[in-house]
Amino acid sequence: MNDTFLPDIARLVDVRDETPDTKTFTLHFRDLKNREDFHFLPGQFLELSVFGYGEAPFCIASSPTRPDTLETTVRRTGQLTDALHRLGNGEEVGVRGPFGNGFDVEAARGRDLLFVAGGIGLPPLRSLIWNVLDERSRFGKVTILYGARTPADLVYKQELKEWGKRSDVELHFTVDMADASWTGNVGVVSTLFRQISLKPESTIAYVCGPPIMIRFVVQDLLALGFKAEAVISTLERMMQCGIGKCNHCAIGHRYVCRDGPVFNYSQIRELVE
Amino acid sequence: MAFAIERQAITKWLQKLLESGEVIAPVRGPCGDILFSTIHSPEKVEWNFQNPLHPPKQFVLPQTDPIVKIKRNGERHEVAPTYDDTRRFLFNVRSCDAKGIAFLTRMYEMEPADASYLRRANNLTIISLACNIPCPLGFCVCTDSGPFLRDSYDVQLTDLGESYLVEVGSEKGETALSGVPNLFHPATEDEVSQRKRLEIEAKNHFEQETCHFASAMRRISTGRVQDALWEKMSDSCLECGGCNMVCPTCYCFSVKDLGRVGAWVRCRMWDSCQYAAFTLEASGHNPRAHRKERMKRRFFHKVSAQYYQRDGMVGCVGCGRCIKVCLGATNMPAVVGAIRKGKWNE
Repeated sequence: MNDTFLPDIARLVDVRDETPDTKTFTLHFRDLKNREDFHFLPGQFLELSVFGYGEAPFCIASSPTRPDTLETTVRRTGQLTDALHRLGNGEEVGVRGPFGNGFDVEAARGRDLLFVAGGIGLPPLRSLIWNVLDERSRFGKVTILYGARTPADLVYKQELKEWGKRSDVELHFTVDMADASWTGNVGVVSTLFRQISLKPESTIAYVCGPPIMIRFVVQDLLALGFKAEAVISTLERMMQCGIGKCNHCAIGHRYVCRDGPVFNYSQIRELVE
Repeated sequence: MAFAIERQAITKWLQKLLESGEVIAPVRGPCGDILFSTIHSPEKVEWNFQNPLHPPKQFVLPQTDPIVKIKRNGERHEVAPTYDDTRRFLFNVRSCDAKGIAFLTRMYEMEPADASYLRRANNLTIISLACNIPCPLGFCVCTDSGPFLRDSYDVQLTDLGESYLVEVGSEKGETALSGVPNLFHPATEDEVSQRKRLEIEAKNHFEQETCHFASAMRRISTGRVQDALWEKMSDSCLECGGCNMVCPTCYCFSVKDLGRVGAWVRCRMWDSCQYAAFTLEASGHNPRAHRKERMKRRFFHKVSAQYYQRDGMVGCVGCGRCIKVCLGATNMPAVVGAIRKGKWNE
């Protein structure tokens, strides 16, 4: 019997500001054995402990193709994330996982890939994006659409620049509300569909963001001719145990922590809330 | 194999059990009500009692269950799992409650198994007492969890008057008898047939409380219960969570760190799917913000075919505690009946 709830200890080796309320944390397991044993897929998540505050689920934002780096990007929004944001380099957190099914990277081979992210929805897709870019020749056309509330809310600004420069990536991003210095697109992320050409029959779309954004983007994709099976999203719930016991993340008889968090739209439609 | 034990010999058996572990039994509390509690002498055990309001669930799944110890030394944290390996005997629990624990154990055994729960459950021996007279609010005949059990017990006792019939259902049950073998004799044919007669009589004793799950299950499983009906029923729910707390099969939990700074205990704590905060996310998003959605969730979990298939039974043992505790009358038989009829209190 394993110790279901026992976290492994990891140190924060880098803490970067992404936006005024979002940081990226780089984790490094204290014990060598944990480092060697930790394998994950893009789309999987961790239960991260801030000791004294408890645990909460966060997606892994780094790619398994870069196994030496384990990153998660967290918006400060409640007690635990507030405590996490107060931690600095060298401080310790607890890690359980990885949990969940993750993205099926093999199934995406040879296909064109469309990533549509809203706000803090980019981190789970970033794991898959870097996985794809690190094995670039295995995949078709890569298009990334990203929207945030304001220019200040865009995460991974450095990487957006990097992706924008690449000839093998098509990147468009937009903000809902521009400021004086903004010269880019203004509008919700689905307005970017006008700027790209898509082949729905050969493309897989990955959609991640706030629930309302997911709903509208999925409708648009279906209207564009995407099959429900080719529209993939990750669901967010208040997962606590990570092993399908505590019931916080249950939707019908499915558990986001075990059966998900990655579902295609055909599966999402069948979930009985 | 069935045995029998004389009524006056029970004390000696209980004494032996007390020597080998903690014995939990129904006792009369200081205010006269019955509750499950640790006993230190055999005469504390109640034999003629109606089931306490709280099931013995807390002895396998404590309301606050320490699972990980966390200690901070300067910058370093040490974590260690905590286990409860106390050997326990649950004596004179009713059939429904024995079935409730079997339900919980089956769920926690599913991969990935929950070590913390199973350590406690594996050290627990369940000695149940069959119900010769069913309790007034019970409907265990509808859930296949009483008044007599065919499984889910380690030892099942039946009160035959001068003696008790003793059925052994597991190795743990055999062990519970092994310390004092001379107290038990193989049951006579007469004693076995008496037990069969008592079971038939008990089934005939049920009053009007019934719960027709089949039709409700069909509707709930296929999402054919109208939203308006959930809304109407949930108007009567006070969101107190009482139904969850007294339910032998409810197991939803939250995980929290308790204690003082630098020395915490991570605890698993009972939670209720009827609380708005159960699914509330820090962002403010709540996938089940409305009471009707939470009520729908509770009954989907308990009554749907999807969960029936997974658990091998409905998530109800017919104990009737939710009937007793619910101030809004949205208890199991009432809701199942309303779904079957398509209307609520009209």
